[in-house]
Amino acid sequence: MKFRTLTGLASTLALCAGMASADSTVRFWYHFDNADNPMDALVEKFEAANPDITVEAENIPWNSYYDQLYTAIIGANAPDAAMVKMFAQPRLVEMGALAPIDDWLASWEGTEGLQDNLIELTKGPDGKQYYLPVQYVVLYLYYRPDMFEELGLSVPTTCEEFRDAAKALTRDTDGDGQIDTYGFGFRGGKGGHDHWASFVLGADGVSLTEGLTSEAGIAGTQFVADLFQQDKVFPPSAPNDGFQEIIGAFKAGKTAMTIHHIGSANGMVEALGDNVAAAPVPACGGGQWTAFGDESTAVLSSAEDPEAAWKWISFLSSPENNALFNEATGQLPVVKSDSEAWSLHPQRFVQATVDSLPFAEMLPNSNATADFVNTEWPTNMQRVLTGDITAEQMNTNIEKLFAE
Amino acid sequence: MTHVSERTARRASLGRHVLPYAMLSPAVLVTLAIVFFPMIQTAWMSLHDYVLFRPNDFTWVGLDNFKAALSDEVFWISLKHTIIWMCTTIPAQLLLGLATALLLNQEFPWRPVARALIIIPWALPSVVIALMWVWIYDSNYGIANELLLRMGLIQQAIPWLADPDTALASIILTLTWQGFPFFAVMILAGLQSIPQSYYEAASIDGASAWRQFWHITLPGISGVMMTAVLLRMIWVANSFDVIFVMTGGGPGYSTHTLPLYAFIKARTNLDFGYGSAIAVLFTMLLMVVVLFYLRRTGKAVE
Repeated sequence: MKFRTLTGLASTLALCAGMASADSTVRFWYHFDNADNPMDALVEKFEAANPDITVEAENIPWNSYYDQLYTAIIGANAPDAAMVKMFAQPRLVEMGALAPIDDWLASWEGTEGLQDNLIELTKGPDGKQYYLPVQYVVLYLYYRPDMFEELGLSVPTTCEEFRDAAKALTRDTDGDGQIDTYGFGFRGGKGGHDHWASFVLGADGVSLTEGLTSEAGIAGTQFVADLFQQDKVFPPSAPNDGFQEIIGAFKAGKTAMTIHHIGSANGMVEALGDNVAAAPVPACGGGQWTAFGDESTAVLSSAEDPEAAWKWISFLSSPENNALFNEATGQLPVVKSDSEAWSLHPQRFVQATVDSLPFAEMLPNSNATADFVNTEWPTNMQRVLTGDITAEQMNTNIEKLFAE
Repeated sequence: MTHVSERTARRASLGRHVLPYAMLSPAVLVTLAIVFFPMIQTAWMSLHDYVLFRPNDFTWVGLDNFKAALSDEVFWISLKHTIIWMCTTIPAQLLLGLATALLLNQEFPWRPVARALIIIPWALPSVVIALMWVWIYDSNYGIANELLLRMGLIQQAIPWLADPDTALASIILTLTWQGFPFFAVMILAGLQSIPQSYYEAASIDGASAWRQFWHITLPGISGVMMTAVLLRMIWVANSFDVIFVMTGGGPGYSTHTLPLYAFIKARTNLDFGYGSAIAVLFTMLLMVVVLFYLRRTGKAVE
């Protein structure tokens, strides 16, 4: 009797152990600002289709997302799969932290259904594919059509027109001696490099890695400095302003124009109704430049079960699931069939995105890009805006960073 | 019989010798593991070229990181701010805390409630305080500008945190507000340990309130004050969370302090070698200040 109980217990234990090893767990890191998080629904749907895989999805705050990711990789506690942006790719590849997905991509039925060129755009610095795109946006100009109409202005297509419009829009509307509306909400804090780049990198022969200290390159940075110091068309808090501030100020009517992407369109419409519209950024120095905002997923090389991790990330970039994912982030799906059926943003914002695509670019595929985004650009821009250094010094510093 | 008792006695005395060490050793071991080991690791890293995204490249560079730091403009800017930061925040907190403690030591209705309320800034998490003050200072909606505008003290809203001339001072004010309850509570405890009879004797001798304060109160709380200043000096010097949340060190470098600079270098730029070197330099500087302070005040209190 005793023996039988024991063997029974042992076999139950063995069975449990066997089941545990057949199951695998995918730890997934992502960042969503939106409180309306669809991740649970997606995980539930995935687990129903793959009963042997458990997904532990963890929402990491954006501000420290990469700090935490790098630290976790070094500390050998990295997730199995993670949401990643292009600017981080050179570093992650150099760390050997990513698993190539070429073989999986070749045999995956979803590859054909992705938007054209996205796979090519997200290729790794060594020619291998590590990133699977999951959403994208393009930055454009938000403006207040009601204010433009009131002042008889047309939407600016060049930097000169932009400057004139911004000056006209900066005004004291209630006569108390205080400026109530500023022409443009400039993001001088972290993440604002896209604003600056639209005014600087459009010029011929100017990019982050080339021609930044040419006359045209310096003129671009000087243009931004003049808008703030001479024309005073940015709110005085501009040097420190981040995402929350520029979006909040635009919604509150404190600014008449700003630059952001479709991710904030629905919130803007909620606050302003028809009094918000979008257009491609103006052409400065002869050409246009806007940022292509990417977001991909990747399998980490340390993943316990890479196959399961791939299943999960490819699930997120599959028809319907990708739409569900983007409903929450407010960005645009990478799956063709999901884009065609897309109805979650008013048409005028989708149109501005599409119109901006031809000249949208990504930041250089360089190791220096992360430092440029996180510290070099914000500190230098703030110092220029507050008169601490000149436009030329700023461009020289950035050129030096990319030349290293 | 005597033999046995001798043995027990010896064992007891051995126990008395060993027991304290045995009881202390867990605390010592834990301190070694979580304080001294990382400290030594930091010092070790500061002598290497160690960038986190190149984990295999851990090259010995000797004192190069320290040399680089000493010729780094941002290091000196940060050091200057750290000195301003410490030399204004701590005296301001001390004076405000002293005044508060003297007031709270008086008899008045609802005194326990007042004492409980005064501790709130100290009890709140730094991040909450920082976010709260960011809103107070906001140039569009902030209550600071609103009040000053209504009182006619300023003509235009001032971007307190976005202007390099006011950013550091604004943060110092925030930190003063956050830290003064600590002084208030410590000094209050000191005040209550001064016997009432001293004051009675002094007033019979005709000593004025000021002389009573100078000759009885101040010597009575000097020991407490010295400890409190020492603790605050170390905390204020090391605290960067409030700055980090309020401005992130900006605009430009105008609110960079040394601990913040070390943190940004290590955690954001992932340059752990250089970040560690700044941290080590700062620790040494702070140690000098603390030792100097201890020697001076030790003599004064005696």
